[in-house]
Amino acid sequence: MDKAIELTRLTWRAGKVFSLDEIGLNVPTGSIYGFLGPNGSGKTTTVRLLTGMIKPDSGSIRVLGMEVPGELPSILRRVGYVPERPHVYPAFTAREQLDYHASFFERWDGGWAGKLMTRLGLDPSRRLSRMSKGEIGKLLILLALAQRPDLLLLDEPTDGLDPVVRRDVMSAVLDCVSETGATVFISSHLVHELERICDWVGVMDNGRLLAELPMQQFKNGIKRIRVHGAPELADEAPFTLLSRDRTNGPASMETWIVRGWEEPMRDYFDRVGATLRDVIDLDLEESFVELLRSSRPTHAHEG
Amino acid sequence: MYRSMLFIHWKQIRVALIPFVIASFGLPVLTVHWLGSVPDAPQRGMMAYRVMTQSAQWLPLYPLLAGATGITLALSAWNWDHQLGHVYALSLPLARWKYAGLKMGAGAVLALIPAAAFWIGALIASASVTLPAGLHAYPTLLAVRFLAATLVAYAVLFAMAAGTIRTTVWFVSAVVGLLILTALSRGLLASHFTVFQRMSPIEWVLHALASLPGPFHVFSGNWMLIDV
Repeated sequence: MDKAIELTRLTWRAGKVFSLDEIGLNVPTGSIYGFLGPNGSGKTTTVRLLTGMIKPDSGSIRVLGMEVPGELPSILRRVGYVPERPHVYPAFTAREQLDYHASFFERWDGGWAGKLMTRLGLDPSRRLSRMSKGEIGKLLILLALAQRPDLLLLDEPTDGLDPVVRRDVMSAVLDCVSETGATVFISSHLVHELERICDWVGVMDNGRLLAELPMQQFKNGIKRIRVHGAPELADEAPFTLLSRDRTNGPASMETWIVRGWEEPMRDYFDRVGATLRDVIDLDLEESFVELLRSSRPTHAHEG
Repeated sequence: MYRSMLFIHWKQIRVALIPFVIASFGLPVLTVHWLGSVPDAPQRGMMAYRVMTQSAQWLPLYPLLAGATGITLALSAWNWDHQLGHVYALSLPLARWKYAGLKMGAGAVLALIPAAAFWIGALIASASVTLPAGLHAYPTLLAVRFLAATLVAYAVLFAMAAGTIRTTVWFVSAVVGLLILTALSRGLLASHFTVFQRMSPIEWVLHALASLPGPFHVFSGNWMLIDV
């Protein structure tokens, strides 16, 4: 499997406050990879490491088969990047910003940029300082797409945008992908938005990559199950027990959140003398929340 | 690419450059205009002496103006990048040294505008005054010196402004620390060894920078528009 992005044991520290700990991440070429995580989990830091804006303390970064930061200019030539916060020059008009940007990218598609400008309803003569947040969001996407990149790095591209603009932006991205086959790495905490478009998902929390797997597997693999007469230990279970809750329902009934669930695993409960009552599907958001909850240390006295 | 860099630099600097262009044009004109009030002297030699001494009173303003122009050009070059946390610049597909080089080159070209204004001002000023025998005007030489001084100030400040605030603080702290250390050690050594009473490393450094071939010599050299 070709990898558009490959992070190996990547570590980065910012004092004692925050660190990325030995991140290992692989983005298949041609995939739309959703990089999920709550605010402050390390998503933007990871994207900034990918673009060479900050240097890792240890580990390696390969983007489009090239080393970061060693071959950075060659990489950035093929990467469309939309940062978390607008980074364009406010005194420029949209046209000036496009011309300026185009001069750095050999594969810039001026014709397509013009079409996108019309489609996204942007006024080329409007000064960026007078544009709304939504218009700036559209312009940033336009700049990234018109480069005809092999890889799109989108860091919370729709954060703070209204639903109409969000839809416009995402549909422009999907059109680009279907036309060019580019890989998309999109970080967000808006789970429902990624659910519809991503085929791979990586989940970050507190500087660690908790999970990385195909979206379908992630969605289907995490279940809420109700078990009667559950064993004290589930060490030999064929699935990963993320959490167990003994407080709901009758005393002998427990609710488990499990990962890696498959139907044949029902046999396990017969073997341990328990009864499986229900297997409940979770949507991506619930799966995401349960995964985060299970990864965080539990505090006995916490509300 | 360079044209784009020149354009963005021009967009950033154009408003701030206007007063410097006016001042650069006006300073030589004002110098000569003021000479018009030099009273007639009975002797030629005396008159030439008065022209030179009175025009010399304006002398400190020339390097000052050139320095201020260079500093303004340098600070404005990085202004937008600092505001945006350098994110846009760092996402562009070119090596950092190349980006800085293009930016520096763009600023250097724009330094020609105030220098040209200065040259035109100096030419007009020179043409508008009848000089006593033995005196000559040097508008072109002075304009070249003005440009050189602007570029030196620009280069120094450009390099300093290119770094982060932390880098600048480190640099300034290192210089101040060195000065204090030098002063302290010199006082200590001078009290024990008389030879050190005549030696000052700070003076050496300043002297090396401000005299040929030091880069700041251009500020301390001859800035006379009218000279023998």
